[in-house]
Parts: sequence; structure tokens; C-alpha cells
Amino acid sequence: MGRGAGDLSKAVKKACSIEETAPKRKHVRACIVYTWDTHSSKEFFHILKNSTLFNDPVQLFKMLTLIHKVIQEGHPSALIEGIRNRSWIKSLARMSDGENMRMHGDGDGYDRLIRKYVEFLVQKLNFHAHHRGFRNGTFEYKEYISLISINDLDQGYETILQLMALQDQVDEFSNFVFASINRGANNDLKISSLVPLISESYGIYKFITSMVRAINTQLDDDGVLDLLKEKVEQQHLRLFEFYADCSSIKLLSSLVTIPKLPRDPPNLTAQLDVVPQT
Amino acid sequence: MSNQFVRSMKNVVKGYSSTQVLVRNATANEGTGPNIDLLADIAEKTYDSADFFEIMDMLDKRLNDKGKYWKHIAKSLTVLDYLVRFGSENCVLWCKENLYLIKTLTEFRYEDENSGGVDQGQIIRVKAKELTALLMDDERLREERRLNNR
Repeated sequence: MGRGAGDLSKAVKKACSIEETAPKRKHVRACIVYTWDTHSSKEFFHILKNSTLFNDPVQLFKMLTLIHKVIQEGHPSALIEGIRNRSWIKSLARMSDGENMRMHGDGDGYDRLIRKYVEFLVQKLNFHAHHRGFRNGTFEYKEYISLISINDLDQGYETILQLMALQDQVDEFSNFVFASINRGANNDLKISSLVPLISESYGIYKFITSMVRAINTQLDDDGVLDLLKEKVEQQHLRLFEFYADCSSIKLLSSLVTIPKLPRDPPNLTAQLDVVPQT
Repeated sequence: MSNQFVRSMKNVVKGYSSTQVLVRNATANEGTGPNIDLLADIAEKTYDSADFFEIMDMLDKRLNDKGKYWKHIAKSLTVLDYLVRFGSENCVLWCKENLYLIKTLTEFRYEDENSGGVDQGQIIRVKAKELTALLMDDERLREERRLNNR
């Protein structure tokens, strides 16, 4: 596989082919590796914007999964470029409104998924734009973030609430995906969009639990955090179910390790950080 | 047999150095994994800076090979894993610098027509995941290298 700029546009094209199948990892990986090789993601977004990939719902949906993947796994510049291109991404939701869209028999049903995906991506990028501390698209756990938030409790509280809103968005989108999976039809493409959501939701989950814990040790007054704790428990349950649903899909469970959460919500008063291991 | 012959011809025609030939043999598209003597040889050579770059260039090529050559990728990960533990400190630095090459292989997939749709990617996914975990855990890595270099 080549690694030059010409190869990048080939990889993008192949990753977003018109067939209703999961985007090939090989081509997605080529895009990700390119951003690291060149330390830049300008070219990647430039190619997307000048493509005609948004005329077809299947291709547009594939493009959104590709963008999500590159933001997650690519060089940090992908996140920055993503933030810069928020309004363009937002405009993609309008593309699915019908008129511009070439509809074909089994392709519909994607328009709702596309709108939901765009909504999620935009909220994610907004979050990253406001919280530059999270330099990483996958929310890989870093100690210092929780330290920052205990130094400034108000800001920490705010960050947790926003993380929770993002987690709600993941939850909502994945429900849409599950609801759109129909018996007998080819669901590989829809299922493949769950892959980045698994790692994303687990990263967010780890951040929320450790940040709530860190704040908890700082504050003696228990009542203040009751609301947060209640929300943590709700989200824990929904995440538990989400992972259980994912585990039942063979394509997913063989491809990625699906985190196994304990049935009971985490103990938020524990002093020591006992974040479950992947 | 003929594979080996073709490879030795290629080694001559493309003018690979003896170090590169070692790496090519260790990551060849054959059934068996690289043997331990070969791995130790390569690890020894990483202490020479000219050899080091040749080794890493070749591994870089192999890691980014097509899915059809999944054995190249699997074996390159085996070699890298060995080098990180037994090779020069430069190997560790190189791997950290290029972690994305390894990390992005954790979702590698390849289905063979010959094997009847069996996913050959599993071995690569596991190896990539383990190597990534090792590289991200400085303490464990330091301890491993300390024990190995005695």
C-alpha cells in the first residue's frame, strides 16, 4: 500500500465505496496512517470536501464513520481540523434531506442515521473545542485531567455534565443503529458504525467515574453530588446493556474487545482509583 | 522450497544488504514463525545505527503490507516485540514514535478464500494489542528490559 497524497485520495474513495458493506479497514487505516506520517489532516478534509461522496446515502454514512475513525485514531491534527470543519460537517445533515439525495431501494433508512451521526459528531467536536485538555479523540485516560478539575471544582462539575451529555448522545445514536438493523438484510455497514462508539463510550465512562470520584474526595458535603451520582448510575446501566447487545453480534465481538462492566454501578466514594481494565 | 528460491533471487536482484535479508527471512510468507536465533541476530544488529535503520525500514514496509500477506504483518509484530524487549534502546524509541503503525493494526481483518472465510486477522489483532499495551506501560517495559539485559 502506498503512502503518498495520491494514495490518500484513492484510500478515501475506496473506504467510501458505494456498496452497502463495512468500510474496509485497510483503507481506513491508510487514511489514519497518512495523518501521522505527514502530521497534518488538511489534505484528508480537503479531499472529502471536494469529493462527490455525499450524493449517495450509503457513501455519506460511510464517510461519517471514516471521519469519526480518523478523528479518533489519527494524529491530533485531525481533531483540530475536525473542529475547524464543524459547520461543513453540520451541513452534511442537510444533504440527507432527500432532494439532493439519490434514493435507492434499500438505501433509505440511512437518512435518519446520517442526521443522528452528524448531530453526535458536531456535539463531540464542540466538546473538544471547549475542553482543549482532551487532546485525544478516543478519550484515553489521563491522570492530569482529573487533577485539573479538582483544582477548579466549578469547571470540573461543568465538564462532567458535558461529558454526560455526550454519553447520552452516544447512547441515543447507538439505539438508532440497533433499531435500524433489520432481519435478513445486510447490516455490516450499520454495525461497523458501532465500533468507534464502543471505545468512545468506554473512554467517556472512565473519565466520568474517575472525575466524579476525584471531586467526591474533595467535597465533604455529600448532598451536592447526589444528582451526579444518580446520573452515573443511570448511564452505567445503559452502557452495560449497550455492551451486552454488542457482545451478541459476532462481527463486533470478534473484531474488538468489548469492555465488560460489572453489573453494579461503580462505587464513587472509593478513595483509590479502581477503573476496570479492558 | 520455490518460495525460498524466489526470495533469494529477489534479495540479489533488488540488492538488499545482509541485514535486510535477515529481516526478510524472519518475516517471510511461510508457515513457521521466525526462529529464536534469527531474532537474536537481528536484535544484536540493532546496536549498530546503520543496521538499525535498515531493519526498521524493512519492518515498516512489512507492517504496511497488503492483507493477503498477513503473515508478513504477524511476523513483523513478533520481531518488533522481540526487539523492544531485547534490542537496543533505539528500537523502543522507534516503536513509540511510530506507535500508530502498530496501534492501527488492532482492528486488522483479513478473510481468505482458501481458508473458507476464516478470519486470519485474529492473531494480528492480539499481537498488536499486546505490543501496544507493553509500549504504553513504561514501568513494565523498563523492568522487562532490565531482566533481559542481565
